[in-house]
Amino acid sequence: MKKYILMPVLALCAMSAAAQDFDSKPTVTIDNEQEDLRFTVGARFMADAAYYNTDFTPMKSGASISDARIRTSLNYKDWYFYADFGFGGGKFSQKNIFLQYSKEDSRGGTHAIKGGYYSDPAGTMARNTSLGSYHFISRAGAANALGEGRELGVSYKYNNDKFMAYQGVFTENQYNKQEAGFNGVVVAGRYIYRPIATEDQTLAVGANVRYQHVGGGITEKNVLKKTIKLGQTMETFVDENEAFVSASLPWAENVVDAGAEVLYHNQKFFARGEYLYKHVTKKRDSKTLFDATNNSIDTWGTLSAWEAANPLRANNFHGGYIEAGYMIFGNPYRYDSQNGTLKGLTGRSLEVVARFNYTGLNDIEKGEYFSAGRNQYYPNGKMEDWPYNSTSVGGGAVRSYTLGLNYSFNKFAQVMLDYTYHNLSKDFLPNDKNFHQVQARMQFVF
Amino acid sequence: MIKSLYKAGLVGIAALSVFASCSEEQEFTNENRDAKRIEVQKISDEMAKVRDYVPLYACVAHRGSTYWAPEETESAWRWARNMGADYLESDLQATKDGVVLANHDENLKRTTNIEDVFSDEVPTTRKDFYRSFRNADGSQHFSEADIAEQYARDLKDFRSNYTLSYYYAELLMLDAGKWFNDDNKEMQRPSFAAKHNGKMIEVNGVPTIQYADGQYVSALQDQINYAMGNKLNRDAEGRRVLTYKIKDEYKDMTLAEIYKAAKPAVKNGDESVKGSKASKYMDFVEYSFGDKNGSTAYVKDEVDNGNRPGIYPEFKESWLNPKDIEIRVYNILDDWGWNIITKPAQANAPFYVNGKVNVGNTNGKVILQTFSFDALNRAYDVFKGQIPMCYLLWISKPAYATDIAYDTPTGYADFIKYAQDHGAHIIGPAISGAPNNYPEMNKPWQAYMIRKSGMLNHPYSFDSDAQMKKYMGYFVNFWGENPTEFDDLLNVTVQPTAFTSFKEASTHPIYMDGFFTNRSEISLHYMIENGFRCNAKLAHPFHPGQMYDNSQAPSVVPNADNVLNALGY
Repeated sequence: MKKYILMPVLALCAMSAAAQDFDSKPTVTIDNEQEDLRFTVGARFMADAAYYNTDFTPMKSGASISDARIRTSLNYKDWYFYADFGFGGGKFSQKNIFLQYSKEDSRGGTHAIKGGYYSDPAGTMARNTSLGSYHFISRAGAANALGEGRELGVSYKYNNDKFMAYQGVFTENQYNKQEAGFNGVVVAGRYIYRPIATEDQTLAVGANVRYQHVGGGITEKNVLKKTIKLGQTMETFVDENEAFVSASLPWAENVVDAGAEVLYHNQKFFARGEYLYKHVTKKRDSKTLFDATNNSIDTWGTLSAWEAANPLRANNFHGGYIEAGYMIFGNPYRYDSQNGTLKGLTGRSLEVVARFNYTGLNDIEKGEYFSAGRNQYYPNGKMEDWPYNSTSVGGGAVRSYTLGLNYSFNKFAQVMLDYTYHNLSKDFLPNDKNFHQVQARMQFVF
Repeated sequence: MIKSLYKAGLVGIAALSVFASCSEEQEFTNENRDAKRIEVQKISDEMAKVRDYVPLYACVAHRGSTYWAPEETESAWRWARNMGADYLESDLQATKDGVVLANHDENLKRTTNIEDVFSDEVPTTRKDFYRSFRNADGSQHFSEADIAEQYARDLKDFRSNYTLSYYYAELLMLDAGKWFNDDNKEMQRPSFAAKHNGKMIEVNGVPTIQYADGQYVSALQDQINYAMGNKLNRDAEGRRVLTYKIKDEYKDMTLAEIYKAAKPAVKNGDESVKGSKASKYMDFVEYSFGDKNGSTAYVKDEVDNGNRPGIYPEFKESWLNPKDIEIRVYNILDDWGWNIITKPAQANAPFYVNGKVNVGNTNGKVILQTFSFDALNRAYDVFKGQIPMCYLLWISKPAYATDIAYDTPTGYADFIKYAQDHGAHIIGPAISGAPNNYPEMNKPWQAYMIRKSGMLNHPYSFDSDAQMKKYMGYFVNFWGENPTEFDDLLNVTVQPTAFTSFKEASTHPIYMDGFFTNRSEISLHYMIENGFRCNAKLAHPFHPGQMYDNSQAPSVVPNADNVLNALGY
């Protein structure tokens, strides 16, 4: 009967969690030994409840289904196919789907070629860690604001006990549905060295780098306007408002990401952290835009005058986090060497965790005046009629402190409790400084 | 495993129940609540003194009137003065030769016949205008070659129909009244239109500008004189008497040298305050406006009824004016004794005397206003917050360069702070209502925030009795019911007067401290009949416990038509 078991669809509606691959395999297995075929199916369900206390702008306390998915995999010899699907809001949504071919070499290393739609290798360690194994209710905010999610592409990964080199070529829009332009190109890689790599203890240090040429955008005044948006929620899924920490960067041309990571664990303790840096260059067809202004008496006169009044510059952002956990009782912490991540709780266990996160989406020129009534920076230290365009970006900077307690009933079911304090600095929201939130999660993954 | 799942389910359900119960009293963004809890910068004591130069519940005749007469002309302002308005309001721009004049729009097309007279080109009379300047012996002052070169520069600098492209003498050839008759058939009066447009004529072989003979584009000096009870000096044919000549400091220069030497205005008495070099005036023409010591440009208005209103001029957006207009205004006020910084009025001079408006003889005689950040900044550099200043608010989507883009309590508090920090004592929000249907920027929470800041609230612009009722709180709590959450600050107690229909004190909130009105007659009637004017015992909203006395204000509002008739229109 085993091979005919179909799992019920647990998730009728699901919110899309940020991108990640599952680092645990679907549980229900169907083997066809004659064909050397193995099919697995699993599911995941997460429901959160949250209570928020804010200084000024309210957040919506309540409960929500954070994630509901069905996931499947198929193994055939050295080939591996994986797909998972979300059903958030009753709508089908594409999650991971990829095909991987892997081969072990004579020295114990694994070579894998992977194609499809899955997490960018350089998208951060956090976003390459499954949310179901994460030890916190939400990933660190910096990883969501500055890291990248799933992309369509191909990659090659080499992995052995000591090293992992994982790099690929991707594109930014998996359906090629951008209004104008093409869907961009991304080259990304993540590299890890593990000076300590035993079953009970791992020390891994790594770096990642990513280059993106932004390709898609909208047409405005006959000019392709490419915009990228950065942002994070307040490390929660119940109110996913990104207004507190977010930035929109029009005329984005190229993006360079660089990051460093470290992870250590032993049986009872883990610590990990990342530093993230993002550099966004800008480009614009100024001449065409200038020409478009020349249809009125109030023309700028010269292209150079227009450009001086509409300056462009590259922007830089950075952030990072440190997380730690202590296992009060339960199975020891384990490392997933294939993905370069820490595994989740397995079996009955109780842990206490803590995190500090910093996300910096402010890139503000010194001495500029900010008007909250206009959400506008002014370069000369005072408001002006024109030209007033500043190159500053005030997306917000947040420091977040989280304490959490996670209890796992068994390898499938877990409850989590997090308290987080955020301290926000955002010019546009001068009255929003302190945020307190208590969140609980019930999750089931198999 | 089943047992564990059961436990997990119980714990989860319990947790969700607890948090779901929290969401029943879900909070949401509420402007009314936020307005009460947000911090608003309070005006300083020093600024409050200047604020108190302004009479409470001031009736500001918006452009004189847009309803009864051609706006910002002699007819509109004389009418407003005789009607009993407290202020004559205007919009200031500057001409090519640096004359400060009144014009609301970005260009002169709507309110003059400039397109008929000059088309969209540099006036064809321009070269003759230069030829009209003569030496003492009658010879032409500027050479033909010099004129030709200057004409080429004029072509290069020209922006059609913009004030800054024309000499003031040229603009006196325009008819600023005919458009009103064309657009307002019910309100038209033949005398508003000129009988003759201006033109270039030859007098004894000398090219001479002959002005039109109707309503003119008004200079700031004109506006001041109407407030002083004067009118234009006109010749027998109805043309204003205003001569012009080359200023002494330019009399030995060619036009090329004048163009090169064009210098920004310098503040009277303080040479360190001057405009930027971007001010491209041909500032060599001196008109016979005169000054406080005498003038041939104005005569006593024989039908002046003794009201002495103040003036309420607006600095327009910075791209309409060279960057020294604020200094020019300072100096003109100085010339006419209307600059209270250099010539303060008698302390505590009453706003009303024996049934006449007397604001023009007090330290509140001039209120400045602007939407422009640049003008606000520059006016602060020049006037130092020592003359009452109103910062005007407007909103549109997408936001215009000077608009408030986020009309929220946070955005409002931000603009209030910036305005205060740059010398403003008054906020001027737009109000809704026909016929203009402006965006509503004076909701109760907004009026509350302005009051909380200690600044005056002068909304614009009123056209109906319904608007007066709305913003004077007639509909809210007038009968002791329907209290609002802002009553603690906005409530006033009004004692009955001989002119009120109510006979017992009435307490209710009000949402303004003065108003721009196109219908002074409606607004004044309302204020008198509802106890806000001609009342010796008005509770002072900015000085709790003190009374405000405007009992000497005119208690009779003349018939608007009759006033125009009496003025000769």
